[in-house]
Amino acid sequence: MLSVDLTPMIDVVFQLIIFFMFTSQFGDLRRTEVDLPREQGEEETVQQQAAMIIDVTREGTYRFESQETSLLEVERIASAGVMNQSESTPFDVLIRPDRNAPVAHLDRLLLRLSNVGVQKWKLATVEPDGGAP
Amino acid sequence: MTLNRTRRRRSQLGALPLTSMIDVVFLLLVFFLVTADFAKKENKLPAALQTEGGGVSSSDLQPQIIQISLEGEQVIYTIGQVRCSDRVSLESVLNQLPRDPGVAIKSAPDVPIQAVATALQAARNAGFARRSYVPGDSSN
Repeated sequence: MLSVDLTPMIDVVFQLIIFFMFTSQFGDLRRTEVDLPREQGEEETVQQQAAMIIDVTREGTYRFESQETSLLEVERIASAGVMNQSESTPFDVLIRPDRNAPVAHLDRLLLRLSNVGVQKWKLATVEPDGGAP
Repeated sequence: MTLNRTRRRRSQLGALPLTSMIDVVFLLLVFFLVTADFAKKENKLPAALQTEGGGVSSSDLQPQIIQISLEGEQVIYTIGQVRCSDRVSLESVLNQLPRDPGVAIKSAPDVPIQAVATALQAARNAGFARRSYVPGDSSN
């Protein structure tokens, strides 16, 4: 009787699972290290992936998908996002700033976003280690 | 008899395919390493975006404004005439204000972004559903 060899099959199945896990988590892996503001934040009832994630560095540069991006380019991407948004999928901007960066860097970015019609944004935070700062 | 049984068991154990088992064990190890979340959990503070004089609603509703400024190294949060220097006192001041008009946050350009996050968090903890941030014109 022909017997199915289980071991190589499990091998292949796991390889496939790992491959798909890697490719699906690619967005998260691209998240760069930023010293985020230390606040409790807000518990989200529905986990929603932001449509656009922008990092603001202490030096005043902006990063989109781990690539240094000019404000003009950010404005262009946001503008396209706003145009394509719908009731069910609103254009959601998440800003991940360095907590010690001056507000001027954030203001420059928010003014550009507001110019293209972005009305809501989210500030990324991390929970403080030792309670409230 | 007993010796024979032990020998038989040993020969059965010897037939166990070790190489493929190690293969699977390593795959499992890699799988759990990949699925484990080593990154620090990030939270979010949502806020509306308002421009100075840009919307009719901002002047009509007259939201309470938290003005953030820097005095030396100290961050100062000012609401009307009241000045606070930490989140606890800011929160206690916000607790006494009506929630309906919402709260707007404005900041001096040299203040660290942490202060804006603190003000947003204080407003959120005080129960303000409408929180907006008014970016200053920092082009100059």
